Amino acid sequence: MLESKSITKKFGSKIAVNNVSMRLEPGHIYAMLGPNGSGKTTWMKMGAGLIKPTDGQMLFNGQPVGIESRKSIAYMSTEPYFYAWMKVKDVGRYYADFFQDFSYDAYASLLKRMDLAEDLKTSALSSGMMAKLKIAVTLSRDAKVFMLDEPFNGIDLLTRDEIRACILENAQPDKLMLLSSHLVEEMEAIADRAVFLKNGSLADEADLENLRETRGLSMADRYREIYGQEGA
Amino acid sequence: MRTLMKYEFRKTWAFKVLLLGAAVVAEIVFLIGLYGGLDRVLGVSVLLLTMLAICGVMAIGLGSVVQLYRDMNTKQSYMLFMTPNSSYKILGAKVLENGISILLAGAFFFALGALDITLLFAHEGQLEELWNAIRQFLSQIDSRITLDFSTMLTFVLSILASWISTVTCAYLGVVISTALLNGKRGNGIISFLIIMALLWLSGFIELRATESIENVRTVFVAQSCIALVLSAVMYVLTARIMETKLSV
Repeated sequence: MLESKSITKKFGSKIAVNNVSMRLEPGHIYAMLGPNGSGKTTWMKMGAGLIKPTDGQMLFNGQPVGIESRKSIAYMSTEPYFYAWMKVKDVGRYYADFFQDFSYDAYASLLKRMDLAEDLKTSALSSGMMAKLKIAVTLSRDAKVFMLDEPFNGIDLLTRDEIRACILENAQPDKLMLLSSHLVEEMEAIADRAVFLKNGSLADEADLENLRETRGLSMADRYREIYGQEGA
Repeated sequence: MRTLMKYEFRKTWAFKVLLLGAAVVAEIVFLIGLYGGLDRVLGVSVLLLTMLAICGVMAIGLGSVVQLYRDMNTKQSYMLFMTPNSSYKILGAKVLENGISILLAGAFFFALGALDITLLFAHEGQLEELWNAIRQFLSQIDSRITLDFSTMLTFVLSILASWISTVTCAYLGVVISTALLNGKRGNGIISFLIIMALLWLSGFIELRATESIENVRTVFVAQSCIALVLSAVMYVLTARIMETKLSV
């Protein structure tokens, strides 16, 4: 479904993603793991069509990502990105205006669940509330691919539980979910596959059940193996 | 495209409302000065209205260049480039919304100016005589110079079209700076030089294309058409760079 072929992204002399080839399939929840600067966000942004690769290709259903793929790929950035003039309800209206798969009813229901009022100004939201808003608006799309960059950042334990439940409810056989996070144990409870990036390169791609059965390793164990002291 | 234009307008409407409010206040001051016989107040209001017209139209264009820069260099860029719209549509909405805003603001201030001059002449008869004397004097110097309504209208149109083309040149400069030279040393200066070169080139083309035309009104119409064609060329070039090179 979403595939990168020998993809590389350089920012000046710095290589953010280095010759990464991988194919992510629907019906799975992938955890994208790696320390800061390992290339997770850059890879996701290339998947969302926000960053042009220096070399290689990013494909969605066999076609290069672009205008068409954006109709089916929902990307949630780790940084806040809404216009300062927007209220919470304006964010929903904006998504409804641009994405055919967006449901305002689903959005309203998620806002209620996340305890967010529609009349709040986005510029006045705390980081936790902003994180909840980003999750609510992204998961209100009926997209084929969800890419959530650090969805648990700056969120308290109870809200984290709520977000985890929302993600699991959205996981369906025809959908692909890709989540990046530093909270490896948190991801272990959600993901069934993991992608490990190290210094911009693909270090490993693993089926977590297979990893447990064949090597007796958890995701956190494998993380420690790959990154050692650097990733601890 | 209409949805994109709606949001482009939403980003800039506060300034436009402010400009309209300031124009209304200045107009009220003008009327008070005119009918209250307060010459100094009248003079100040005329100056204020003239400044508002010139600076307002310029600020609408400059504001849209700043907005484009923000829309490509801050996280807000995701709001545009995450949507299933091509760069041609995204930029097209900006060019159209800004072009229409400049033309509407120009038309508004032109109509307000025409109204105020009419009121002024009706109230101060000797001013109309003075105006006619100036017109006669100018036409004696050069028979091509006429200060009638249609010439003034085509002149204002050519100024507005030329400003729209300047704004699209600036768009191209901003996009070159962001998409092609991002992170490179001296990219601001290089972009500025590119904008200056483009402005010089468009001015040169306008001059060469209109130098053989005798009628002043035709010169203004031709200048307007050339400026709008140049704007279209700048737009296509800018959108092409955004589509193929821009990372946000």
